[in-house]
Amino acid sequence: MSSRFLSGLRVVTLGTGIAGPLAGRMLASYGAEVFKVESRAGGIDAFRTYGDDLDASPRFIEMNLNTRSVTLNLKTSLGVKLFKELVGHCDVVMENFRPGVLQGLGLSPRDLLTVKQDLIIVRMPGLGSVGRQASYGTWGPTLAAYCGLTYLWNHARQDRPVGSQGVYPDYVTAVMAPIVVMAALLARKRTGEGTVVELTQVDLAAYMLGTTLLDVLVNDRDPAPTGNASLHAVPHNCYPCAGEDRWCVIAVENENQWRALCSVIGQPELVGDERFCRTLQRWHNRSDLDALLSDWTAQHDASEVMRRLQAAGVPAGVVASGMDLYTDEHLEARGFIQSVRHPVLGEVPLAGLPLQFDTASHETFRSPPPLGADNSYVLIELLGHTRADLERWEREEVVY
Amino acid sequence: MLRGLTALDLTDLRGQFASRVLRDLGMRVIMVEPPGGNATRKSGPFKADAPDGDSSLRFAFLNGGKESVTLDIGRAEGRELLLQLSEHVDVVLESFLPGHLADLGLGYDVLKRQNPRLVVASITGFGQYGPYSGYLASDIVGVATGGLMYISGDSSLPPVKPPETQAFYLGSLFAAYGVLLALFARESTGQGRYVDCSIQESVATQEHTIREAAFDGAVISRNGSQHKNVAPASVFACRDGYVYLFILGADHWQSFLDLWADHPPELDGDELKAPHRRRALVSKLNPLIEQFTRRYSKEELAALLQDRGVPCLPVNSPREFLEQEETRQREFLGPAFSQGLGEYFAPRLPAIVDERPPADAGGPPRCGEHNSLVFGEWLGLPPAALELLSAQGVI
Repeated sequence: MSSRFLSGLRVVTLGTGIAGPLAGRMLASYGAEVFKVESRAGGIDAFRTYGDDLDASPRFIEMNLNTRSVTLNLKTSLGVKLFKELVGHCDVVMENFRPGVLQGLGLSPRDLLTVKQDLIIVRMPGLGSVGRQASYGTWGPTLAAYCGLTYLWNHARQDRPVGSQGVYPDYVTAVMAPIVVMAALLARKRTGEGTVVELTQVDLAAYMLGTTLLDVLVNDRDPAPTGNASLHAVPHNCYPCAGEDRWCVIAVENENQWRALCSVIGQPELVGDERFCRTLQRWHNRSDLDALLSDWTAQHDASEVMRRLQAAGVPAGVVASGMDLYTDEHLEARGFIQSVRHPVLGEVPLAGLPLQFDTASHETFRSPPPLGADNSYVLIELLGHTRADLERWEREEVVY
Repeated sequence: MLRGLTALDLTDLRGQFASRVLRDLGMRVIMVEPPGGNATRKSGPFKADAPDGDSSLRFAFLNGGKESVTLDIGRAEGRELLLQLSEHVDVVLESFLPGHLADLGLGYDVLKRQNPRLVVASITGFGQYGPYSGYLASDIVGVATGGLMYISGDSSLPPVKPPETQAFYLGSLFAAYGVLLALFARESTGQGRYVDCSIQESVATQEHTIREAAFDGAVISRNGSQHKNVAPASVFACRDGYVYLFILGADHWQSFLDLWADHPPELDGDELKAPHRRRALVSKLNPLIEQFTRRYSKEELAALLQDRGVPCLPVNSPREFLEQEETRQREFLGPAFSQGLGEYFAPRLPAIVDERPPADAGGPPRCGEHNSLVFGEWLGLPPAALELLSAQGVI
């Protein structure tokens, strides 16, 4: 069976970087026709500019797979008019500009709903649309810092907050936006009406800390970082393995797993050791326990630690690098990584999406085309303008 | 938005965020718990640190607003009741090890025969097939094997996992998307679908690590909070805490230098207008910048830079985040109630639909609270039959 569930659906996206574009890829990968609108007049996706060739940025390609490319200069009134014409042929608009930017162009949700009354509009402002900070500029790492994620993502008792070099909030938004689009589409089947949804990125990231927030709200606490520890599972940590910067995590969640672990590391006598006889005792003596486990893990390859412990029923996993993932036999067996063919770059291996429907049905990978490559498809075939119009608008830097 | 749709939720901690989000968007979610209660009920933190009764805050966050029935699906009577329930719902979510439900006679083929319109989603550590599919996945295993941990933390320390159970949450989010795709397709086909969601893969979609290793030949490793391509883009110390400062464009770099009136003249060079050039000099640049940022409080510096359009926000603790005036103005929190927790405020999924405030989180159900409602109304079981099943330990 096909997994082109969204065949026939048309989507316009305005966005840059990860959150907005990846949300578009999520819809395009299941058959939606996604028009990514950019402009050389100050509206190029930042990821295109990470290299010398706007059309051959691997990072841009990864985030925008399967989408179409249209250039419209929204700083001109004709560009805005053509954008509205395109919206009139679409079901969904997604954007993550700062609040007020689209309103200023005459493209507020109300303006767009006038064009098409059953339109679904999803906005993704960083800090929402009310209050002094709504106008602030944000990128994923600043939002992680603001909501508490960076502070909590650390070993215990460190001097400085560290977090990750990544952009976690972008990925959360990139999945939540298509979830909301699908919910609105299902509602539209029932009601026939359009919907405007605002997803505030910082609150989405904070929602991923909901348990911690309840600890603040209900217990009046100020939760601190706890690193790799767990109150319910001991040992529960990251252990050095043979080789440079090689690690394996181990998580023992019950007494059966503890006994199995002792057996695998060749120290069955530890089962009777009163320092380690229950989770609570292991918690109090966890530094002894971690030292003892590290002595064993350091003698073995990380993948061997994982394999031997998992074979004995103990949760364990390699702390995988990008190269580990690329060469992972399991991911290969599942077809998670595929290559996209690009005219300049050749074959580019990329992570897929983590969903399979029925048996092994995968998204197809198609490189986004060069900037503006779908202009004639959109303006002539879809909107019914003439080639002469298009050429004039290109010269006038409207389709630009 | 999902009003009229109903899910049976057989998941544990791995999948409960999926039904959490679906419920927040309007779906009715009925947890199917073993008679002793779902394991998340025993997972802390607890209200007042008292792990008895209905005081788990983790359970409250993940399962607020859901309904609860108890059912021992390992017994023939329980299995039969689950099959009957599945005729009344649109979605079944589960997170057992692959093959477990099939062993109980409740595999997708059986459920599909019972209700061809049913969408069934499995959320598991490594997916339904492949060499690791039988591996056990606690959350830390998910963030490790998915590649997120390797790039997280200080380079002089071991890799560090993110807080809470982010691997499970990410897997749950993707699974929720898969469920909605399948429900959308059902509108035209009349048929349900099976969704296989891998937690490892949900994590591995992030941060380009696979492409960078495979195509660019660059294996990213831990580097604190320093962004891999941009500088300054890191945590910087202030007088009273920290900010995260992120400067990409040449215009932002210039605005930053303008504010820093007595910056070293060598920072004015044209070559430093490009972010990757600044990134190459980061070990020299960041200490210089920190001398400047230390002059201000974190709130003061963020406001000064944002007034000039430069992205910079304070590093907050979760408590500081909740205390922000703007967090209150956005109505991120709403009232909730349960018998175990009393009245409290809870975070809400921040989806503002047609200008209505976000849906309240709802309090968590007591174990089996909705047995008579669901078994009675849907399956027509009289109170005497319910009592008998309860005495037999089936519900």
